[in-house]
Amino acid sequence: MIDVLSAIGDVLTSEAAYLNALTFAVFLAFGATGEWVAERSGTLSISVEAMLLGGAFAAALGTARFGSVAAGLACAIAAGVVVASVQANMSHRLAANQFVVGLTLNILVLGVASFLASELKPSIRKAGTQRIPLLADIPLVGQALFDRTWLFYLIYPLVPACWWLVFRTRWGLELRAAGENPQSADVSGIDVNKRRRQGIYVAGATCGMGGAYLVLGAVGQFEDSIVGGRGFIALIAVIFGGWTLRGTLFGCLLFGSVLSFRLSLPALGYQLNGDLLASLPFVVTILAMSLFASRVRPPVALAQPFIRGLK
Amino acid sequence: MSGTVRLEGVSKHYGRVRACDAVDLTLEPGRIHGVLGENGAGKSTLMKILIGLVVPDAGTISIGGERVALRDPLDAARHGIGMVHQHFSLVEPLRVWENVALGEAGALRPAAVRARIAELSERYGLDVDPDAVVGDLPVGMRQRVEIIKCLRRDPSILIFDEPTSVLTPAESSLLFDTLRHVVVSEGRAVALVSHKLDEILQATDEVTIMRQGRVVDHVTTADVDAATLAASMVGRAVSLRGDRIAGAVPEAAATDVETAAEVLRLDDVTVRSRDGRILLDELSLSVRAGEIVGVAGVEGNGQRPLADVLSSLLPLSEGRVFVGGEQVATGKAGAMARAGVGVIPEDRHDSGVVLEMTIAENLWLVNPSAIARAGVLDEGRMRAGAERLIDEFEISCAGPDAPMYSLSGGNQQRVVLARELSNEPQVLIAAQPTRGLDVGAIEYMSDRLRKAAADGVGVLLISSELEEILDLADRILVISDGRIIGEMDRHEADLGRIGLLMGGQAA
Amino acid sequence: MSAESITTGTAGAPTAARPPRVRRPEYGQLAGVVGLYVACIGAALALSALLVEVTGGSSVDVFSALLNGSIRGDGRIGATLGVAVPLLLVALGTILSNRAGLVNIGQEGQLYIGAACAAYAGTKLGMHGPHVVVLVLLAGIVGGALWAGIAGLLKYRRNVPEVLSTLLLVTIASQLVGYGLKNQWLLLAPAEGRSNRQQVSRQLSADTRLPRVTWFGNQFPISVFLAIALALLVGAVMVRTVWGMRLRMLGHNRRTAQRAGVAASRYGGAALLVSGGFAGLAGGAMLAGGDFGNYTLVPGFASQIGWTGLLVALVSRQRAALAIAMAFVFACLRTGSSFVASTGVERRITDVVQGLLVLALLVPPALLFLRQRRRAQNAAGDRT
Repeated sequence: MIDVLSAIGDVLTSEAAYLNALTFAVFLAFGATGEWVAERSGTLSISVEAMLLGGAFAAALGTARFGSVAAGLACAIAAGVVVASVQANMSHRLAANQFVVGLTLNILVLGVASFLASELKPSIRKAGTQRIPLLADIPLVGQALFDRTWLFYLIYPLVPACWWLVFRTRWGLELRAAGENPQSADVSGIDVNKRRRQGIYVAGATCGMGGAYLVLGAVGQFEDSIVGGRGFIALIAVIFGGWTLRGTLFGCLLFGSVLSFRLSLPALGYQLNGDLLASLPFVVTILAMSLFASRVRPPVALAQPFIRGLK
Repeated sequence: MSGTVRLEGVSKHYGRVRACDAVDLTLEPGRIHGVLGENGAGKSTLMKILIGLVVPDAGTISIGGERVALRDPLDAARHGIGMVHQHFSLVEPLRVWENVALGEAGALRPAAVRARIAELSERYGLDVDPDAVVGDLPVGMRQRVEIIKCLRRDPSILIFDEPTSVLTPAESSLLFDTLRHVVVSEGRAVALVSHKLDEILQATDEVTIMRQGRVVDHVTTADVDAATLAASMVGRAVSLRGDRIAGAVPEAAATDVETAAEVLRLDDVTVRSRDGRILLDELSLSVRAGEIVGVAGVEGNGQRPLADVLSSLLPLSEGRVFVGGEQVATGKAGAMARAGVGVIPEDRHDSGVVLEMTIAENLWLVNPSAIARAGVLDEGRMRAGAERLIDEFEISCAGPDAPMYSLSGGNQQRVVLARELSNEPQVLIAAQPTRGLDVGAIEYMSDRLRKAAADGVGVLLISSELEEILDLADRILVISDGRIIGEMDRHEADLGRIGLLMGGQAA
Repeated sequence: MSAESITTGTAGAPTAARPPRVRRPEYGQLAGVVGLYVACIGAALALSALLVEVTGGSSVDVFSALLNGSIRGDGRIGATLGVAVPLLLVALGTILSNRAGLVNIGQEGQLYIGAACAAYAGTKLGMHGPHVVVLVLLAGIVGGALWAGIAGLLKYRRNVPEVLSTLLLVTIASQLVGYGLKNQWLLLAPAEGRSNRQQVSRQLSADTRLPRVTWFGNQFPISVFLAIALALLVGAVMVRTVWGMRLRMLGHNRRTAQRAGVAASRYGGAALLVSGGFAGLAGGAMLAGGDFGNYTLVPGFASQIGWTGLLVALVSRQRAALAIAMAFVFACLRTGSSFVASTGVERRITDVVQGLLVLALLVPPALLFLRQRRRAQNAAGDRT
């Protein structure tokens, strides 16, 4: 028992632990924030994984080609939106099943990315950090939050921007109406499927940013497995957070921390079972969904395709 | 405000069905004009035409003397026509102000929207909290939000579609006061669509009565009473038939119904929906073997939940159901069917057939074990049985292996009938069985129901077509607001009384 | 009227909304439909070829290598058949659950757990003899079924959408088996049989393996016959048994099914169990068949077979007989890819071909559905 307490104590007082945790958490947050926007309109994009991977690869390619991190970011966002547009148009214009399209995109983008990566072999360097004075001196978390690459800092304006977009603009209002009651929204003159597609584009853009951060800011090089299923975790963070932005971010922090334990704990001298630990976020999510089914409330029309005239 | 709205010769048909037939209607500013009729009378279609959701096949619409074409809701809105919907167009998880702002264009300005809501609340006495979540509001409040949403666009013509169907009497009174205020002081025109007599009497200045797509009468409200309205609503043509029935001897010799066994009984059945609304309210009825019991009433008064309970699709909150003297569990898949309850549902696509399966499969849907051995379907017996039924019930099709969706509506209905009767039920529930059918098909269905009764099946006929009930039923019940509020034998059938009951007035 | 319907989406939403129906148009337009498919598949192949050319490879060489690796080379058909087996099995299970209106996307995990259970039965129970291979396969079935059963329980008891629970269970399965492979009391082979760093199970002993046959110079395990037989069985069950009919009812129209006595939880739950069982059987067959991992359970054993099998089902439009052919096609892509490397092109190109092919096959039904709706709306003439 004392061991567990001292272990927790070690983790909570280790700067490296916070650093790692926030790396993963922010990466997840890029994806989850955009997916949160999309899910509020009633879509469920399993292709978040593909959008993140596409973004990561494009970032690597763009930076290698044009020499700047900013160019990489731009390419990443473009790639994310391209993947998103396949998902959006096939599911919400052509009425193809969104799960099928999402799954296929995951496999397809993985194939394209790894294929091109081994052919083109983009070589990049990890981006440098920009330290924010004063704030970075906060004990424990200062470094983790304010001594990072500028790509990391993008999350700070992104989250409130998305919040503002969904809750303070007409676009966001229509988006939410499309997700809660598409029939009523339609009667009120809103183009439900258009809003849904646009929500998915937003997800594609933020996932692009997330991919760029991952490859340029966190890892430093592109590998096939760079996303490795963590896109699903971003998706799950939205569900875990009960479709609220606050909950989603909390989920990202939680899952990000757990993901980081595989790095942090051995460094601190603890040998904990990595596998069981890695499955923890998923087990927790399933438990949360089962136990709090009544409180966790998805947008009413989530994952139900809207075709006028068809109930 | 603006001019008179005049509809002239407006017609709309769907296939063979004439939803509206050369309708004339004039809505004048400063007056509340009631549109009265049963379901299928055409009033909903007429309103949809006014609001731009349906384009008429013939006729003209003019506003203030000018001809207009209403191609979509935006057109209608531009001409100042607004509708307060029956089944609300609100998004429940959103707040009141958000719902009111929905559908407008331009930047979202919460403060401006809230101010407008406050202003409208004040002016019309429609007090509502702009920041409340619509889902938390009681139904009466929600309707206020709908009205405010409609008024916000400053319409010159307001259409209310069955507004009090979900309100308490007190809330209804409040609504009518509001309407008065809106209309008189601001010179707007209001159309009030309803099947409820007291509502029409209380709130309107003049009434247009529709039946089967046609306008049958147009009166000043002050000049009429409930009985006259009722008679107009259900129609003189029916009373002719009623005369024929009253004196006639029934064709098939009925079993001695008085002493026949009771095959179906509902005792104080109450059903509550998931959001707490009461769908059936301590409803009790009983059907004996060999008799046809008709349940008359305007749609939306509990007929659907009643049929659903008897189809094992809806569990009871309270009360009990007995079939052949034995209690049957409700809501449990297939329990009713096993107990011997056959159902011809109101919407066969919803719970009667599986369109994607073959005719043969649909004929054996409820009891496939009858043509199976050790769980394997005997295709030969299946096909033979299907062909027998196809012959017997004169189902026009390409064969037992044709898909169900290739059949016309009337033939699909025959498949349902064939299946249910072939299972030799004790009770047969027929819900709106002849809806959408042509004259020949209606005759056939009626004959079949009579024959079933003659064979000892207890038939519960749920229909909003009074003609049908009067034609077939031995005993007539009237359902309103989820309960049976009146009962009479066929020879006592008094159209005036039935009309009143259907209009919600217990007599 | 039309003879058959084409369903657009296969599995519906988590709340099991009915997928839109499409009527296959008359003969005159049948040519148009076929043309549409040909065009889409052609586009997919053309895009893949373009990708190859753009990166400096030769698309002709690549396609040739694909053919060599999958069919033309010596004994390659046998290898392809061996890969097709688990793909077909997973697809069959998926078809069953899809027909019941469920969205099971956890086959990769169910397969993995099945393989793990099979490995346990085959290496840790200390039994020998030809009957053990049957036990191995049974263990696979049970493992996969139970794993899918968790999702079924969550759906029918706690209303958790199965699309999410099966997805989450995939990763949990991977972690669980990984854990098992690190512990000797579970799956890890004793130290003597492996090098220190390897986390693998003991290899199945010679008598616990599936027998292999050789036809026309191609060697493959007899599970091929089992899989084909099961495909025919599934096809027959769906159409000719009461259970199959009830399952289809549930998938087409939940309310009508309820009226007719089909309790969604019983039939849907059963469908999930069976679906998981098939995936688990696939895992067991992969292990005992020898074409994967050389009769040894290794980390990452599932190697995307679950996901690919799911795609096979979706592309087969819920028909078991068609799944046999599609499983073979997708298996060709996999076995062919091992020859692609020799052309200097990265073998991952086959994943691209696979993905593009599936997307291409999704487009025609979607377009047809839209065209039908537009025609219907124009006829009605109004916005309702």
